[in-house]
Amino acid sequence: MLELPEDTRERIYELQELSDKAQDDDEGARQELRRRLAQEVPEVVARCSDSARSYRRLLAKRSSGGSPLREEAISERARRMALELAGENPTPLEVLLSERVASLWVLVELQEALLAAWYYKAEGASPAFVLQMARLQESSNRRYLGAIKTLAQVQKLQGPSRVQVNIAGNQVNVIR
Amino acid sequence: MAWERRGSNLYYYQSDRVDGRVRKKCVGTGEVAQAIAHADETIRRSRAARSERARVKLEEARTLASAGEELWEAAEILAVAQLVAAGYHRHKGEWRMRRRA
Repeated sequence: MLELPEDTRERIYELQELSDKAQDDDEGARQELRRRLAQEVPEVVARCSDSARSYRRLLAKRSSGGSPLREEAISERARRMALELAGENPTPLEVLLSERVASLWVLVELQEALLAAWYYKAEGASPAFVLQMARLQESSNRRYLGAIKTLAQVQKLQGPSRVQVNIAGNQVNVIR
Repeated sequence: MAWERRGSNLYYYQSDRVDGRVRKKCVGTGEVAQAIAHADETIRRSRAARSERARVKLEEARTLASAGEELWEAAEILAVAQLVAAGYHRHKGEWRMRRRA
């Protein structure tokens, strides 16, 4: 339904391999990882961010129940949430991670609404259905919390490497 | 639920499960049995339709949830790669700066 382009997927898995090697104290792999991140990551992250936005639109549409106004409201709220989470002058990766959190928030809200709507219908819902929906919701919730944690870790650990400079009266974060 | 022939008459039977065993109960024959059979069939169809709607809803919810899986995994890989490249390593789930020798 929502797939990353093949070459993007390949590059990501190559980065994962390098990252695994670097974590095993392979200094050469770390150097190569740094080089690849500097060269390729902005483009890869941009593609992922595009996909994240498409996914969020899809979720907003489904959550809206056919109301264009509600669809726009959900999209706008998620967009603002992503912006707020990313903070000022975010790196492309922080933007992607913030979009991930916002999209998962929409997903969790959607699942709650679906379950509640079904549960409170006069016809009721079978225990098996409620159980499976609750499992699905729990899994999305776990992923949502995990996404928040990763964003917080990246922001915290990248924090000290940033230098704030004043350009034409605006404070701008620059990554060293 | 079934009709069974006994001699020259058709009898309507209902079945239910008691303590894990199927129990058959004869409802009878004639117009009353036909009305009960009709009501049973309506209930059965209504339950089947409800179950089908629930299945569709669940499938839809699963599809929506899994649609972003690859993307979320990719974001996680990129985040980890960025931290590793910056000199961090994971120690018991916690990210620490690698000590230089």
